[in-house]
Amino acid sequence: MKLLVGYTADERGAEAIELASAVVAGTKDAFVQIAIVLPAAAPFTAVYPGGDHGYETILSAQVDRWAAEALALVPEGIGASVVARSVSSIAEGLIELGEEFEVHGIVLGGRKRHLGGFFMPGAIANALLHSSPLPVFMTSPASLENLREAGGQITRLTAFVGDRPGAEEIISLAARVANARNIKLRVANFVAHADVSEGSAGIDDHVRGIREYLDELVKELGIEASVEVIASGSIDTAINELSWQPGDLALLGSARLAAHRRLFIGPKAHRILGHLNVPMGVIPHLPSTR
Amino acid sequence: MSQEMRRDSLPETNDSGLHEKGLSKGTVGVLGLIVIGISCIAPAYTLTAGLGATVAEVGTSLPAILIAGFIPMLLVALGYRELNNAMPDSGTSFTWATRAFGPMIGWMGGWGLIAATVIVLSNLAAVAVDFFYILIAQLTGQEWIAALTKNLWINIPTTLVFIAIAAYISYRGMNATKVFQYVLVGFQVGVLLLFAIMAFTSDTPYDPTQITWDMFNPAGVESFTAFAAGISLSIFVFWGWDVTLTMNEETTDPNKVPGRGATWTVLIIIALYLAVATAVLYFAGVGTTGLGAGNPDNQESIFAVLAGPVMGPLAILMSLAIMSSSAASLQSTMVSPARTILAMGYYKALPSSFAKISPRYMSPSVATVVSAAAAAAFYVVTRLLSENALWDTITALGLMICFYYGLTALACVWYFRSELFSNARNFFFKFLAPLVGGVILLVMFFVTAVDSMNPEYGSGSEIGGIGMVFILGVGVLLLGVLVMLYSRIRHPAFFKGETIKTGKNLTL
Repeated sequence: MKLLVGYTADERGAEAIELASAVVAGTKDAFVQIAIVLPAAAPFTAVYPGGDHGYETILSAQVDRWAAEALALVPEGIGASVVARSVSSIAEGLIELGEEFEVHGIVLGGRKRHLGGFFMPGAIANALLHSSPLPVFMTSPASLENLREAGGQITRLTAFVGDRPGAEEIISLAARVANARNIKLRVANFVAHADVSEGSAGIDDHVRGIREYLDELVKELGIEASVEVIASGSIDTAINELSWQPGDLALLGSARLAAHRRLFIGPKAHRILGHLNVPMGVIPHLPSTR
Repeated sequence: MSQEMRRDSLPETNDSGLHEKGLSKGTVGVLGLIVIGISCIAPAYTLTAGLGATVAEVGTSLPAILIAGFIPMLLVALGYRELNNAMPDSGTSFTWATRAFGPMIGWMGGWGLIAATVIVLSNLAAVAVDFFYILIAQLTGQEWIAALTKNLWINIPTTLVFIAIAAYISYRGMNATKVFQYVLVGFQVGVLLLFAIMAFTSDTPYDPTQITWDMFNPAGVESFTAFAAGISLSIFVFWGWDVTLTMNEETTDPNKVPGRGATWTVLIIIALYLAVATAVLYFAGVGTTGLGAGNPDNQESIFAVLAGPVMGPLAILMSLAIMSSSAASLQSTMVSPARTILAMGYYKALPSSFAKISPRYMSPSVATVVSAAAAAAFYVVTRLLSENALWDTITALGLMICFYYGLTALACVWYFRSELFSNARNFFFKFLAPLVGGVILLVMFFVTAVDSMNPEYGSGSEIGGIGMVFILGVGVLLLGVLVMLYSRIRHPAFFKGETIKTGKNLTL
């Protein structure tokens, strides 16, 4: 497996490499392609007086040092190389590089926790989450802590699904990934009370219905997976009721609204992203078959 | 489950496209270059800041001195181009002067550039703030708002906010787009032409002055002192033009586009300056009272006074043009001292922490903050000490530009000394042009520096009987000498020639 890391020479870049290494570890041809993207030269922003001031030369030397530092972060046994490229937009540049290097996904380090304690994707992650044809993996300091508790090993996959047809796609993909690395799979679904029209009496029925549907799906696919359906007052509280173990990796599917083979994150997935304290990956609507 | 190690970092990073500045390569044509040149000159800003002070020195010979001021600028720019072609990777006065003359003079060349840009930053911010309040006053019809800028408790904090915003934008590495520049430049040129036309066709000029050929004769300037001061001010108004000559690989045809772009830019700018300068003379005369361009009260920002009487309600366009051009220049000029400070940090001429680059925005981090802080400090000190801060900073700026430009021009001659006479082209571009230009500028520098000791010089502010302009200009250079001596003791590597070698054909 080969992942592209959108690298910045700071903590978030190091965290992205850590997550990417954990995800590819143990797979065939494990490889981390580290990308340092630079802003494109903008001739219409002429620097005056004095033009370049030797900046390109100094920046280039700096990037070489950053590249060496980044490579040193990749654990033994995983192949790695660095590419530095000037791009007009960072998100588009990462997608282009991802396709050029034929990677299976793009990894980003998360921003620092917000005051509310939630992880929120930054501008670049958001752009990727709305346009990438490749899966996007994201981390944050807290979620990386969870991975480190498991010694940097991914121990379980949790696939978040809705109750509609898209679920099958995500579950079968997650099952293949889990199977390949011999780890457990969990399928999770959240029900917010407000979304259930039948009132409080109907919630139990609703939950039972979803559970049966998911159990059926898992059986049809012939895979082993635990199913958890959690009903709570809101999505936010439901997320908090789900238990986690060290080394968990969450997978979400792209929204049904998404264009063919492009990511798109719906409001519900956005809420889930904001509350998760484990690394996560978002998979495009039709999973890349690469 | 491959355990194979494949770490081909070095070849990959070197082929990685860092050096393919790629996307902008060959995208700028002649028109684009003209736009870039005019946006660097920022004529609406330079005219309002420089025209009054120049009239104060040379009176009705204003058109002549504008033309004369271009000549040393042209000669020096030709030398700049040679240095830029010979050492494209270094691209700054600091490294060029170090390679030619050694670390000490090189260090002062870098300091001169930093000082000049820091001074112009503080002036740009001040002009932007003045017109910010004028604009609000014109928009709301509340005239008292325009006077707010005279209140230091309002003026200084607002100016610091402008500088901070510019520094932040610069740190974030945000760039102006092509459309933005075209609109900004087109608007600026259009408004200035409108001003000239309205001044000439005005029914009620304040002091109708006949435009005569004498105004175009440089020999008509009364004294050499006035001539020198006029030249260093008119160099300020052309400062920025030479960027058109140094753009090469960005252009669609490096053989033709830079030359044509530079020629057209200067023709347009001179025509524009002459139109506006004669319009000001025709409308307001050089009288020292009322709206006269010779009135010291009008000289620190000529359009702030004249735009209203000349353009009536359309004066709001002038305020908008000046505010937008000075605010845009404030941001783009911020990059320059930051990069020079970064380069000096990188080559250990200053503490290495100045060489920090933001990993997220790929811009100088510490150096940008230092530049902004220096500009803010310079502004506060000048504003508190001088009765007429804008005027004195512009004059001090002319002094500083003469210093580092002159030094860089002579660096060109000295750097190429072994090949100056090998052919006619070298003789002209590497020897004659930069030598004459450099000598003219350094003579202007010394004459202006000596004259400015007189407390009457410039706006007439003084400390202990010494003119404010001298204290600001020469004081900043002497401060540079002190900082250099300190650096030499603390960080001797650069001064021992360990980071940049003096001489030719050595890679940095």
